[in-house]
Amino acid sequence: MMGKNRRVIAAVVGVAVVAIIVGAFFLTPRPPPPPPPPAEKRIFRTTFPAPIYIDPGVGSDAASTTSMISLYDTLVHPKVTGEMEPHLAESWKASEDGLTWSFYLRRGVKFHDGKELTAEDVVFSTNRILTLGTGFAHLYKPYIEKTEAADKYTVQFKLKKKFGPFVSTLVRLFILNKDLVTKNIKTPGPYGEFGDYGKDWLVRNDAGSGPYMVKEFRVGEELVMERFKDSWVTVQPNAPDEVRFILTTEAVTVRTMIGRRELEISDPWQTVENLKVMDEMKGVDVAIYVTGVGISYMMTHNRKPPTDDVHFRRAMILAFDYDAMVTQVSPDARKPRGVIPANLPGHNKKIPEYNRDLKKAMEELKKSKYYDKLDKYEVELHWVAEVPLREKIALLFASNMAEIGIKVKVVKVPWLSIIDEMASMEKTPNLVVVSCGAAYMEVGSMLMQRFHSSSTKTWEQGEWLLNSTIDKMIEDAVETIDIESRFQKYQKIEEILEDMAVTIPLAMEPTRRAYQAYYVDWPVAKGQICPLMGYEMEIRFIQVYPEKRRELLAA
Amino acid sequence: MKFSVYIRQRIGSILFALIGLSILIFAIARVLPGDPARMALGPRAPEWAVEKLKEELHLNEPFLLQYYYWVRDGFSGSLGYSLVTHRDVARDIVEFLPATLELIMYATIARIVLAIALGVLAGRYANTWIDNTVRLVSYVGVAIPGFVFAILAVVIFGYFLNLFPTMGRLTEGLVRVPAITGFMTFDALIAGSFAAYVDALWHLALPAFSLVLGGMAQEARITRASIVENLNKDFILSATSHGIPERIIILKYLLRPSLIPTVAIMALDTASAVGNAFLTELIFNWPGFSRYGVNAMMNKDLNAIVGVVMVTGVLFAIANVIVDILVAYLDPRIRVIERAE
Repeated sequence: MMGKNRRVIAAVVGVAVVAIIVGAFFLTPRPPPPPPPPAEKRIFRTTFPAPIYIDPGVGSDAASTTSMISLYDTLVHPKVTGEMEPHLAESWKASEDGLTWSFYLRRGVKFHDGKELTAEDVVFSTNRILTLGTGFAHLYKPYIEKTEAADKYTVQFKLKKKFGPFVSTLVRLFILNKDLVTKNIKTPGPYGEFGDYGKDWLVRNDAGSGPYMVKEFRVGEELVMERFKDSWVTVQPNAPDEVRFILTTEAVTVRTMIGRRELEISDPWQTVENLKVMDEMKGVDVAIYVTGVGISYMMTHNRKPPTDDVHFRRAMILAFDYDAMVTQVSPDARKPRGVIPANLPGHNKKIPEYNRDLKKAMEELKKSKYYDKLDKYEVELHWVAEVPLREKIALLFASNMAEIGIKVKVVKVPWLSIIDEMASMEKTPNLVVVSCGAAYMEVGSMLMQRFHSSSTKTWEQGEWLLNSTIDKMIEDAVETIDIESRFQKYQKIEEILEDMAVTIPLAMEPTRRAYQAYYVDWPVAKGQICPLMGYEMEIRFIQVYPEKRRELLAA
Repeated sequence: MKFSVYIRQRIGSILFALIGLSILIFAIARVLPGDPARMALGPRAPEWAVEKLKEELHLNEPFLLQYYYWVRDGFSGSLGYSLVTHRDVARDIVEFLPATLELIMYATIARIVLAIALGVLAGRYANTWIDNTVRLVSYVGVAIPGFVFAILAVVIFGYFLNLFPTMGRLTEGLVRVPAITGFMTFDALIAGSFAAYVDALWHLALPAFSLVLGGMAQEARITRASIVENLNKDFILSATSHGIPERIIILKYLLRPSLIPTVAIMALDTASAVGNAFLTELIFNWPGFSRYGVNAMMNKDLNAIVGVVMVTGVLFAIANVIVDILVAYLDPRIRVIERAE
């Protein structure tokens, strides 16, 4: 009897649950059916690692910069050659003393909310980034004293000191809609009357005038952008209507998406093996290109034995097998031509390509004060655990040094620990394998980032050069307004750094991305590469052909 | 001891354990290498900006004072500021946890049903080819890590056979489902979209499958061992001699006592899946809590690390209490003892 009651109760409960579910379905008002998708919608998808920061005052990594380039406009725009061309600013001029720069803005540029872009917005954007101090602020903070709107379409930058490459740096000053950001400021906040300066709102929204605008941003998952129809810039006729930055770089996921035509261009962090598999897929190619504005370095501690000896450093430079580096370890890489990337404007073209010379390496080593004590001085080499390629480089280096009697201890270290180590002269190892790229298109950028004393304690300088003469030379060079004179000064500094053997450049490594060659027209794949970070993926120049994609899927 | 008193004591000891866990993880997060403020602002941020952020996050204060601020804010619903997402960790958890719970819920249902079914079959037909097959499946499931199943699932079912989607929770372009509970399937039903419900289930299939196999294998083996042990007991012999059909003996008399050891493992497997799901979430680009936790650790996002570990600890604690209640339900001897007292 009890059992029968239980069965009845269970049956009633089961019917009730089903009734609730079905009732919820039938009785709940349904949303209207979505409109049919427009014909031939051009969708472009690519992958990036999380997180992405679309706030121009916060983001400065590759993923963030790539998104900002499409969401915002800048005063100038880099050409493929690296020179700057007018963009939001139609023209500009510097005062005689080089301390006042005036930019004359294009009229009629609209932000995504319809408001016109004026000099006030440029002033606001500059003040904002300087106040926040993050993102690309380091390019402007040492130089900009004040920014003013001379009139509605003229903005003036007053500099604390002369800065020759100033115009080149403006590719990283993204212009925000002052009114929109101000409307979304949260108070109270750490910035006085400006509250949080709109940081909270700009995590997921944009205030730009760029050819694309944020449609949706699911943090940690996907950034979706759509075309801004009233954009003033030239957009290719078949440029995407919708862009998705998918936040994953998992090899199997990327490979599957490429195979299913759910991804148009992959991220550049895929392994060579995974790219090879994707290359074999129908309609997929791998674009391999060297931007030449970045180098992988064996950063060499100039103040720790035995790498504090110039002859010891020269011996290491001469003993390293650059051919093996660019053919076996990192195929398609290019040998370095000095400590500065070869494609940066102002580079010293007289510096020859690096090549191995064991005989000269031994000669240099014999001049070193550590020659008779090589057994006692082991060189410690740290490589970043999260980048497997670095291990191959470290092992190649160690085996090359062994040939001339230098002992190298190879240590795998997580990136977080490397950052910690490089903040202290004592903890920085003799050698660290790290890649570095220029923040703007001039040699001065790399000189400041890599060899000026202001970059010690950061991961960008493991050399601890701390040379006041070099510092003054770099400062003097970047303060030179005349471009020819400035470039000559850069080249002189490069020669000195070469002679000092301050560091060991290993290679200009290539970037490799798989892409849907059958239905995506990507300028980079045709050799039209703007080498500055983020610009190789400037969406408005990429064209997508959905009808060809359908052909592939049907096949 | 009375069962109700026992449960109250368990809850008390769990609270004590959670306080200890919070102190421990708070301390560990702060000894991990890396300066969190520097990492959040980037290597080129000026020193004054780094110091300003440290001040905002109380990172320059003594450890106990930092802990006090965290507890104080916790009582007002804030778990601190996330250096990665730039918002309160509590909001992040509310956004990401339901995605993981939904994944685990469906994986758990499938895992339990399969584990019990396979365990019963293997136990009933012990030492036959059925038992051997289940044993082989169990060895494979235990030996091979879940993320390998995830990769295999993506490659076979997602790429070669193209039967299932390999990322995300819903197909692009499908009707937008308002986030009410955070469970895409439930929200789809609430919104009245059966198509979205089916699509959400379809997206859940592969990631849930990759979470099922490891736990299922172990639980099936435990169930099988328990079934075999109980099959020879007097009460089963008595039921058989009374002519009760075998199906009823298994489902009504044998299964319940045999599940006692399995239930404890099932609950702990479910709770641990919250932390272990991160590789699955990574492979399927599932916007879940586990992936959020791993990102927090990689970026030394202190408040997020503490928040994630505490939530995982609470889930474990809840799982333990549920186990106790379930075991008491399954084992009437516990209730007899309580009544006797």
